[in-house]
Amino acid sequence: MSRATAVGLARGGAFTAAAVAFPFVFPAAWIVNIGVLTLMYAALATAWNLFSGYTGYISLGQAAFFGLGAYALAITFEHVGAGSGYNPFYALPLVGAGIALASVPIAWVALRTRHMTFAIVTLTLLFITQQLAFNLRSLTHGSTGLMLPIPHFPISSYDRPFYFAMLAILLVGLALCWLILRSKLGLMLFAIRADEEKARGLGIRVTGAKLVAWSLMAWLTAMVGGVWAYYLTFIYPESSIDPLVTIGAILMTFLGGRGTLWGPTVGALVLVPAQQYMITTLGASQFYLVGYAAVFMVVLLVLPRGILPSLRSAVDAQRERQRIGRDPVVREKAAA
Amino acid sequence: MTRIPVRLAVVAGCVAVAAIAGSIGAGAAAPTAAPIKIGISLSLSGDFSDPGGFAKQGYELWAKTVNAKGGVLGRKVTLIIKDDASSPTQAATNYQNFITKDKVDLVFGPFSTLLTAPSAAVASRYGYAFIEPAGGGPAVFDQKLHNVFFTQPAPIVESGDVFVKWLHSLPKSKRPKTAAYPALDDPFSSPIADRMRGQLEKAGVKTVYKTIYPSENVDMTPIVSKIAAAKPDMVVGGTQAGDGYALVKAMVQAHFSPKFLFLSNGPNSPGEFPGKVGVKNVNGIFSASDWYQDSKTPGNKAFVKAFLKAYGGKASSIDPGSAEAYAVGQVVEAVAKKIHSIDNAKIIAALHKGSWPTVEGTLHWNSIGEPQGQFLLMEWLNHQLYPVLPKNVAVKKPVYPKPAWGK
Amino acid sequence: MHQIVQAIILGVLVGGVYALMASGLTLVFGVMKVINVAQGALVIFAAYLSYALFTDLHIDPFLSILIVTPAMFVLGVAVQFTFVRSLRGPDATELSLLVMWALALGIEGVLSVIFKTTYRISSPSYADNSWTVLGYRISEVRFFAFVASAVLLLLLSFVLTRTRFGRAVRAIVQNPTAATLLGVDSDRTQMLSFGLGVSLAAAAGAVYGVIYPFNPGSHYDLISRLLTIVVLGGLGSIGGAIFAAVGMGVIEALVTVEISPVWASFSFFVILIAFLLVRPQGIFGVRERTL
Repeated sequence: MSRATAVGLARGGAFTAAAVAFPFVFPAAWIVNIGVLTLMYAALATAWNLFSGYTGYISLGQAAFFGLGAYALAITFEHVGAGSGYNPFYALPLVGAGIALASVPIAWVALRTRHMTFAIVTLTLLFITQQLAFNLRSLTHGSTGLMLPIPHFPISSYDRPFYFAMLAILLVGLALCWLILRSKLGLMLFAIRADEEKARGLGIRVTGAKLVAWSLMAWLTAMVGGVWAYYLTFIYPESSIDPLVTIGAILMTFLGGRGTLWGPTVGALVLVPAQQYMITTLGASQFYLVGYAAVFMVVLLVLPRGILPSLRSAVDAQRERQRIGRDPVVREKAAA
Repeated sequence: MTRIPVRLAVVAGCVAVAAIAGSIGAGAAAPTAAPIKIGISLSLSGDFSDPGGFAKQGYELWAKTVNAKGGVLGRKVTLIIKDDASSPTQAATNYQNFITKDKVDLVFGPFSTLLTAPSAAVASRYGYAFIEPAGGGPAVFDQKLHNVFFTQPAPIVESGDVFVKWLHSLPKSKRPKTAAYPALDDPFSSPIADRMRGQLEKAGVKTVYKTIYPSENVDMTPIVSKIAAAKPDMVVGGTQAGDGYALVKAMVQAHFSPKFLFLSNGPNSPGEFPGKVGVKNVNGIFSASDWYQDSKTPGNKAFVKAFLKAYGGKASSIDPGSAEAYAVGQVVEAVAKKIHSIDNAKIIAALHKGSWPTVEGTLHWNSIGEPQGQFLLMEWLNHQLYPVLPKNVAVKKPVYPKPAWGK
Repeated sequence: MHQIVQAIILGVLVGGVYALMASGLTLVFGVMKVINVAQGALVIFAAYLSYALFTDLHIDPFLSILIVTPAMFVLGVAVQFTFVRSLRGPDATELSLLVMWALALGIEGVLSVIFKTTYRISSPSYADNSWTVLGYRISEVRFFAFVASAVLLLLLSFVLTRTRFGRAVRAIVQNPTAATLLGVDSDRTQMLSFGLGVSLAAAAGAVYGVIYPFNPGSHYDLISRLLTIVVLGGLGSIGGAIFAAVGMGVIEALVTVEISPVWASFSFFVILIAFLLVRPQGIFGVRERTL
């Protein structure tokens, strides 16, 4: 095992241990609830990053899969009777896989377009999905919304199963990203981001690579949506297919650093608790959306590369300075 | 990869731990003779921010009024209001915070059925009574929760029942024979139209056109041209405000005036409606309402007076949303007085029995919180909006058929 | 048949207004490769401006175009200068998309604080009037809205074909590098084009506020249509945008009348996806190269 692998595994292990311990150290329901929301966005942002961060193709339609996951689970309850308790959690990977597979033909059409057009087409897909949720009333109950059964978990630890479900999805997402970054697929995706024409010219099967990343994104996102629906027990089209969910995930990815492994998680760890803190302290304020937009704008204009890459280059620069300081030959060269 | 993420995570973790520990410490000490804390999540930003604001006025007015009288059971009332940005996730989170972090004594409902449904589930989990002013759509009652009490005269879906009953009472030759049903696709409006259509079809009124449209700002012109072509005696619209105005405007433009026109919402806003459709076009239009400024319901006079004193304006521009929220407070005041307690389990048990006087009328509920009264039928007569049914609250008698536009 | 013709008339009239909004969006893309997803929010912003001028100062909404358009031109130039110009480097295009989205959210937030979320509509005295021509009903405001849009589009085409600025714009659209080498001031042209794009949104907004009720959240619905229009027309092609906008108006009106209003915009979205199968670059578009 190489040193990089060891460090990576240690880092993942430490994160997992801390995240698993969290609801036991802070068992108060409201804290675990914030934990659920944080992990939800960390998982969403990680999934967004897996496709858009690595390929450079901005997808504005991620919330469509979030909503599809939510609806798929709710409809499974309603029409198939998936049972309650822990069963829905076990059904989720399959439900998510179904959605991911079903999305492949549409993705194939969307991916025929290039960057800007692609972004628009994904946004269009989001609105199409929302309209279907409204209009397929026999399946979705339209604007009235769908009720999920309220699970009978013990009240003192009610939020924990949802917390661990979100955590599991996040860890799977991180593991996938980690594997991709170290694999040929990762190289292919980064080649696409750098110059797709050249990548294609070099014989890289760009469409295939993009489709694999896209389906993984869809799979992860749909599962997150399913857990969210079960947690909230009530979904309707605007809340479950909400452009702001996509924007939240994008904002966190940009804040943490896109194209990195941990960036999206870091972004979520910073932003979700900060947002909850603002709502609790500022309480009744109408300036929520204005504030949100301002943070978004500042992140894009001041930290366009994100926290992790900026920090890393700061540290690299620091090391470089130290190295130059120690080495007289390099120092002379640098001066010249 | 560098080691930064680990360090950063550690730092962020420490900060988070410190912040959380601090807030737990702050929240722990609560003296026993403290005021009654009531948690309310309201939409102060986002789609529901207007009605959320009306509810806020009603809640705050009640708190002020009751505190001036010495509070509830001798304890002052403190409202803790948080914004949910019209998001159900945030509304549920806010109630979870109220109950498990702020340890409030009571919670009151948010605005909109869509936010009430998930919030009521949270309150139910912790055994809190959920007295709520605005969650009257099917989604709330479909949960069959025992802790929900909706403070309007009846479930929203029954808004048109009084109108339908009145049509039945007309001499057969005067009744409408055909009807068209345009309805907005939202959780309140289209269910109203669907229910009325079912009742009217059973009574022999032929449906010549029905449609459902997607949003409040949809183009009504093609819909109205379809309706006009079908020449119905009556148009029954499941509407909200904006689409209700647009529907009337498009009918005026198309020179199409049915004999009966009922819209579930829009015409019931005396402050807005005449300005939107032209004051000369309002006569003979029916609508439904849960509250009316001059009605003789318990405490209404005092409410209107206090409202105008606190917020100014005219009595006719008070939004029913404020009255609904005020009624929530009235219910709590009454129940606390009766059972000498604000224990949630006892409140829930008590509210399932007896009837409770509010500005929305004297309310009583079935086991899942559906109020068992009926809505007011409102009609525009001489450019003024009056309740015309039920008889015990009516100021004028219903007039029909509707005059032509501009008359 | 009568209803179909009536629907087509309606669709064309409405399509003209969308064409005006979409031409601004596609012009900005052509010149600077920025997708202004705030275009919808800017339209709504202008609708509120015009609404305020109408309700407070009793200025006719159509006349208010003359006030709103120059004001929003300045705003557009300012937005370009503060938010867009600073974005450089390989990611500039993607970043600009998100920056404009942040701007849209900010505008929505500010508008909902000032005007609340009740639907508004500017109702001049003639708002309910209509003419009957050969048995078809034509609403006066919609007709005026269409005429105003058509006049402004003609004006736009005049600016683009007959002025120095227009030549600079077309040169940059065709080949930015060559244009710069030939002495076109690219920064200045970009700034003015953005201002022009926003002022088209402004004019369209003033008109939009007369024919549709709107609230701060209406921009989602608008931008989803506008983006579909410009992609279908081919990004950067003004002619394509006009064609697609009128097409959308007609299709939506037909679906509304013949099938159901709830499927109206859905059908247009589906046409887009179907079309992209055949021509990923849109009707009049040139294939976009990897940026």
